[in-house]
Amino acid sequence: MSEEVRIIEKKEIPPDAVMLFGFPDVGLVGVIAASHLISELDLAEVAYVDSRLLPPLIVLHKGLPHSSIRIFGNHGVLLAVSETAISADTIYPIMHALIDWGRGKDVELMVSMSGIPVQDRQNIKKLEVFAAASNPVTLETVRDKGVKVLSEGYMVGPQAIVMQHCANIEVPAVTLLAQCFFKYPDPEAAAELLKELTNLSGIKVDVSELLEKGEEIRLRASDMMRRTQQEMSKMKKTQEYDIPIYVS
Amino acid sequence: MSTRRRRSAFDIVNEYFRDLEKWIERFREELIEKPRWNNRACTIEPLRDIIVTPTEVIVTVDLPYAEENTIRVKPMDKETIDILARMKRKIRFDDFGITHYKGEFETLQCQTRIPVRVSIDKMKVRFEKGILEIRIPRRRERGTPIE
Repeated sequence: MSEEVRIIEKKEIPPDAVMLFGFPDVGLVGVIAASHLISELDLAEVAYVDSRLLPPLIVLHKGLPHSSIRIFGNHGVLLAVSETAISADTIYPIMHALIDWGRGKDVELMVSMSGIPVQDRQNIKKLEVFAAASNPVTLETVRDKGVKVLSEGYMVGPQAIVMQHCANIEVPAVTLLAQCFFKYPDPEAAAELLKELTNLSGIKVDVSELLEKGEEIRLRASDMMRRTQQEMSKMKKTQEYDIPIYVS
Repeated sequence: MSTRRRRSAFDIVNEYFRDLEKWIERFREELIEKPRWNNRACTIEPLRDIIVTPTEVIVTVDLPYAEENTIRVKPMDKETIDILARMKRKIRFDDFGITHYKGEFETLQCQTRIPVRVSIDKMKVRFEKGILEIRIPRRRERGTPIE
């Protein structure tokens, strides 16, 4: 684990879990999905990130301080979530520390949850979810489950680091990307992603409340979305729209 | 004796872009470092986006809780539009568990500057899935013909 980033455990972590990541990105899809998973699966905080790379910021819940990046867990699920946009300068060591920590806990699969922006999103009736995997075997599993594969293109942000680092250290990982708004919180996209997560990993989650509370979530998440936009711009997030040159 | 190296054109251009980046960053921070909640006016500033295409400018605004029939898009001048919508219900800080601020909000409101010349009187507005979409045709500028 990086010395710059410490992960403090509060509870014993069972092995062989599926580790999920919900970090601020386009449409806040990952964070909204993570927040819903925490309440639906009754996940408890099991660890948190402590690092001077993070801004001097804590999140207060019920009057008590919490790290802005925490790991929740229960029933064979670990979920890393950030309640603040992570700066482009610090995202590498933070993501590496979380992935290395998960590997140390013998996590069997890592799943990064995020979005893929589409133009005229408001006109799309049925949102699609795409996936990419860190190795050919995991990619085959994704295909077998009927998930559409994102075969060519650029990936920018936390999920790109999950894919690259997991490939390097040979940990199976999948990134799920739901079509979403670029700059607006998108609970509907988060719901579609969670349906595909159930299909892929067997983690059952009811999304009806997420859809019912859509407007409340959009309003509540708009400050975080605004700050995330700033970091996405520094990461050159719009490169995801680019067509890559084919280098085999 | 000190020797002063003459700066190359490269250095000057690099410095110019560095200064420009710093200025953009400062401008962005000034824009973002203010609350979206206006207690006095009881308004919330919604998220918005502008796309400029060769033929039109598309402004979108995220309007959660907006009552569709109260949405109003008003040109302020040739390059600014004012967007206002009443919300279906009043929102209070304590709806979000926040107890250290007081206030209630019933309107979403923002002003947006259009970055290119447009025919603002020809704008078209629609509301779909909580997103307001304003399409404004660009004014035709005369290009330079190839000789």
